[in-house]
Order: sequence, then C-alpha cells, then structure tokens
Amino acid sequence: MTELNPIIALMFFPGGIFVMLLGLLYVWINRKLRARLQNRVGPRWFQPIADLFKLLSKEEIIPEDANPTLFVVLPVLALAGVLTAALYVPILGMKAVHSVPGDLIITVYLLSLVTMCIGLAGANSTGRFSLVGVTRTLTQLFSYEAPFLLALLSPAIMAGTWQISEIVDYAGGRWLMFTHPISFIIAIVALMGKLEMPPFDAPEAETEIVGGALTEYNGRGLALFKLSHAAEMVIGFALVTALFMGGTTNPLLWAVQTLVLLLVVTLIEVLMARMRIDQTVGLWWRYGSVLAIVQIIVLVVWQRIVL
Amino acid sequence: MNNGNGNKIANKFVVPIGPQHPALKEPEHFEFTVDGETVIDATARLGYAHRGIEKTAESRTFVQTLYMMERVCGICSHVHATAFSLCVEKLAEVEAPPRAQAIRVLVAELERIHSHLLWLGVGAHEAGFDALFMYSWRDREVVMDILEALTGNRVNYSANVLGGVKCDVTDAIRDQILTGIDYLEERTHHYYDVVTTDAAFLQRTRGVGTMTKEQAMRLGVVGPTARGSGVEQDLRVDAPYAAYDIFRVNRVVEQGGDLEARFIVRVKELFESYRIIREVLDNLPEGELTARMPRRIKEGEAITRVEAPRGELFYYVRSNGTDMPDRVKVRTPTIPNMASVLHLAIGHQLADVPMILAGIDPCFSCNDRSVRLKSAGGDDVWTWEKLRKYGIDYYND
Repeated sequence: MTELNPIIALMFFPGGIFVMLLGLLYVWINRKLRARLQNRVGPRWFQPIADLFKLLSKEEIIPEDANPTLFVVLPVLALAGVLTAALYVPILGMKAVHSVPGDLIITVYLLSLVTMCIGLAGANSTGRFSLVGVTRTLTQLFSYEAPFLLALLSPAIMAGTWQISEIVDYAGGRWLMFTHPISFIIAIVALMGKLEMPPFDAPEAETEIVGGALTEYNGRGLALFKLSHAAEMVIGFALVTALFMGGTTNPLLWAVQTLVLLLVVTLIEVLMARMRIDQTVGLWWRYGSVLAIVQIIVLVVWQRIVL
Repeated sequence: MNNGNGNKIANKFVVPIGPQHPALKEPEHFEFTVDGETVIDATARLGYAHRGIEKTAESRTFVQTLYMMERVCGICSHVHATAFSLCVEKLAEVEAPPRAQAIRVLVAELERIHSHLLWLGVGAHEAGFDALFMYSWRDREVVMDILEALTGNRVNYSANVLGGVKCDVTDAIRDQILTGIDYLEERTHHYYDVVTTDAAFLQRTRGVGTMTKEQAMRLGVVGPTARGSGVEQDLRVDAPYAAYDIFRVNRVVEQGGDLEARFIVRVKELFESYRIIREVLDNLPEGELTARMPRRIKEGEAITRVEAPRGELFYYVRSNGTDMPDRVKVRTPTIPNMASVLHLAIGHQLADVPMILAGIDPCFSCNDRSVRLKSAGGDDVWTWEKLRKYGIDYYND
C-alpha cells in the first residue's frame, strides 16, 4: 500500500471518506444492536448518515460569549486529528499507509486530540452544562489515558519498538490477546471510556447535564464532532485489532474481528448502569492502571527469565 | 455541607435543572449550587403546570368534577377519582355496593402496578441503565392492555362513577387479568434480582440519598418513600377505604432508607398487588355496580385519605346543597415528598441528584398549585383586576 498516492490515501482510502463512512456504519450497527438487545426496533441503516446531513444543513448558532473562531475551528481540528490517525493504523487488515518510529504514540495522541477538542469546545461555549461536562470529560481523559497507553505498551515492550508495523511484524500473525489478556481487556474498556460509551458516559449524561460539553453545539460543529467520534471508534478498534488480534490479515477477517469487538462493547454497554465520574476515576486508577502495570511486569520478567 | 446558609457559597456555580431538562418529564425548576461535583445547596420553584383545577371544580357539577379530578394526574388517575367519589358519597350518605368497592380496589392495584413499573423504568433511566428501562416499560404494556380491556381506556380509565363503578369484570377479562398477572409476577422476580444484586446498579443506589426514620418523620414524607425509611405507614392498612377492609394488605417496609430500599419497597409492593388482585378476583362479591346518587349533594364537608401509588392522597370536599361543589381541596403525595429531595441532595454528587429526585417518584403537575409570587408583596388575596394588571405590567416590562 506504500504506492498509494498521498492525496488518495488522505482523502479517500484508507483515511478520509472511507473511515468516515465506515464509522457511520459502525455507529449504526452499534445503535441497532443496542436497540435489539433492549427489545427495541432500532434505526434503519441510513439513520446516522441522515442525522449527519440534517445537522450539516442546519444553521449554526454560536453562543454570544464564545470565541467564534475557536467555536468553528475546534470540530474541524478534531476530525482532522482522527483522520490523520487513520494513516498510521492498519485498516481493513492492510498495512498502514504511513509508518514512522513512534507512530503508536502519535496515534494515541491524535485520538486524544478529539477529547481535548471537545473539552476546549465545551469550555469555550460557556454554558453551565458544558462546563460541568468539560470537567467530567477531562477528568475521564486523565483517568483512562494512562491505563490505555499502558495496555498498548505491553505489546510494544515485548516487541521492543514504538512502531505499529514492527509490533505487527513481531506478532507475526499470533494473537497477542492470549499472551496479553489483561492488557487486551483494559485496552477495550479504555476504548469505551474514550468513546464515552455507557457505562462511561458520565461526561454526556443526559439526565444530569443534558449534552455535556457539546450542549451548546449545533449544526455543522455538532455534525463534525459526531463524525469524529464515529471515525474514532473505527480507528480504536483497528488499533486494538492490529496490536492484539493478529496484526495485518485480510479485509474479511479484519471486518469480523472489529465487528466482534463492537459486539462485545455493545454488550457491556447494555448490561451496565452509568458510573459516576468518581467511580470511573476510582476504577481506572485503582484497578486499570495497576493491572496494566502488573501485566507488563509479568511479561518482562517472563521474557528475561524464559527467553 | 451546611444547608446553604454558610459562607461556602461565595463563588456560586448553579446548575439549573428545568423547566426544560431531559431528566424531567414535566416542567419544574430546580437550582443546584455545586462545589465541583458536590451539591451544596438546592432550591425548587414549583408551579409551572398549575392548571387551576380546584377552582374550576367550583363551577362544575359533581359528576363533571369527577372526570376532571381524574385528570389531576395522568398516572394515578383512578385513585383521584376514587378519593373524590368516596368523599362525595360520604357527603350524600350513599354507599357504593360491595362489588363496586371490590372493583375499585382491583383497578387501584392494577394502576399501582402500572405506576410502579413506570417508575422502575424512570429510576433506571436516570441511573443510565436503559436496558432495565426498556424492559420494564415493555412489561408495563401488559397491565396497560388489561386496564384498557377492563375500562376502555389506557390512561384516564374513568372506572368510577359517583355511587359505584362503570365497568364489570367478565370471565374473559378475569382470565386476561390472571394470565397477565402471572407473566408480570415472573418478570418482577427478575427485576427484584436486578435491583438487589446487580453490582453496577447497586453502585448507584446503595447508600445514596439515605434518609433515616427520624428524618422521614420530620420531613413528613409519605408513601413508598417513607416506607423505604422504615416508617410504618400505609393507608390501605391504617385506615382501610373501599374494600381494603375485606382484602387485607401487608405493609411493605424496608429499613435501609437509601435508594436501594426505595427500589425494593416498590418492587415488593408489586408482589403485594398481584396477591390482592388474585384475591379480589377469587372473592368478587355479587350484586349491583352502582347505588343511586342524588343530583344535589347535601350541605356539609368531608375528607378522604387514600393510598395513591406515590403515597397519601388527601381530598376535602365542601358542598352547599347544590349540584356543584363549594370547594375541593387536593393534596397530592408529591408535595410532602418534594422537601426531602432538596434536603437529601445536599452533600451528594450532582450525578446522584436525578436519581434522588426520581426516587420519590415525583409527579409535578399533580403537585403544582398556585404559588405566591416572590416579588408581589402586599395582600395575600388578589382580586381579578389586580392579577390582570400584574400580568399586563409583567409583560410590558
């Protein structure tokens, strides 16, 4: 895939349009599955796309006290961050378009950019619900980010590199989720926190703070944030698949793998009540981080002694 | 953690909830002053859905008022009509026949099932547990269908008429009720397991919004909210009305006082309702459905107290000998319970506030009545002209 024209890679495949459409498809599958599990009918397949176009066609209202430039730029920045991350992650089971030493860190931080943008956007829009939402979004960011990175660190340490493609080469088709089970579970659950899915949806708990940080957003800005979230979901799954589930394979297997991940995530989502933000932080720092570190120590010791 | 009068609230950050808010299904305004995530002060402003029903009753006949009183509450409509009918029957010195009284109990218990299942869903939704919300509302449809088959309506059943009831229990409906109740009982066992054992859900209910028995007595809370705090109070037991002296109810009391206890009380009351419904259907007295009511009601005044799904419901009716009531006064159970929310919210996380609010099973439009305007000043009694002038001035500003 290194032969791809950079413009095509950025705009159409695997970045850009492709990731966005795939994200919307996954959002639909997630919504439909959740609806069926809750004994509801659920939306039709084009609902996320229809929502997107509806929002895009609406007038954008900027709050009086907000900085208008920031208000408009932040959603674009969030989407740009996610789409750039798509270039470093193997999508559809194919090699990543770009590969540089340390691209694992780059990817993780590009994904965090979405959350940071949402945080800034909420603080900028100065609504009361937004401000409470921002506090929660950022608190949650600081709680899941460390365990997430630690979880991705364990294959990286074993492979001795920060480059995703080299970790994939190290795995060589082996499913690292069996040798790194704790890291795998933590990575998935942290991904749910990243995507603000229930039970980690305290930052946008509608029964308390309406829409969280994005309460004041509407029209185009909201559409772009929703789109970045959708794309983030695909890239998050792709990252976990690449690191823990056999690396680069073929598109069909990749689709099955990510859909299984989506099913697992949706099941957790349906089965749990929302956690309070203090409970979320407690969970991550008390159990998540500690377990991730234990996993790394065990692997390192095992590698030193056995190999 | 003081009650809003300390110096801690120098830099107020007030989170407004309502009148339009996703957590509230009806308009009501709350202001929660928060310090970070912790609530340090709470106030409420009631009255957004005030409809002047008590006043309207004075210019309608007793029969018309009966149907209007059903519309005080969309969820517990039958219990309002029952309270009003019992009150007027007391004034007219007429007693509804035993079969009618038994059917009143039957519909009241069916209504309690529908109300408690609805509440279970709302409570779960506030905790972000939408699966329980969807399932309990799906099962609630069973009891809604029963009510529709029995009375013809899903919401305002109009089962009561003055002096009796309008609908009879036929064999077909009896079978439908029994089948439905069997299904619901099986489902309720499952819900009982969920609210008592689901770890994720218990994290949000156990130890949250704890109200001791002393607090409950002092705040004067009623109904399942009080029974969850160990207050032994259930008018179906304490002062049996309609046919509750024949079909005895076992009081469900929990000692916990927290949200978990309130969930358990209501789910256990569902089992109690199933038992009573079966008992009523097995021992339904034969006879007439209505007694003859005079059109003009004798002069006098009367009160009734009945146990609505949310607690004690109080009716006062005064008649001046005509066919219209002279005064009707309603006290719905949400009013005494509302004070407990403002009290309990303080010191809790903002995330717990919707749960605590939902925990009393609030019904805002029932509880709304005319309020004294803050800045009005002057006399308590306002003439029509003064009120009109106030309105014009208000909108001119």
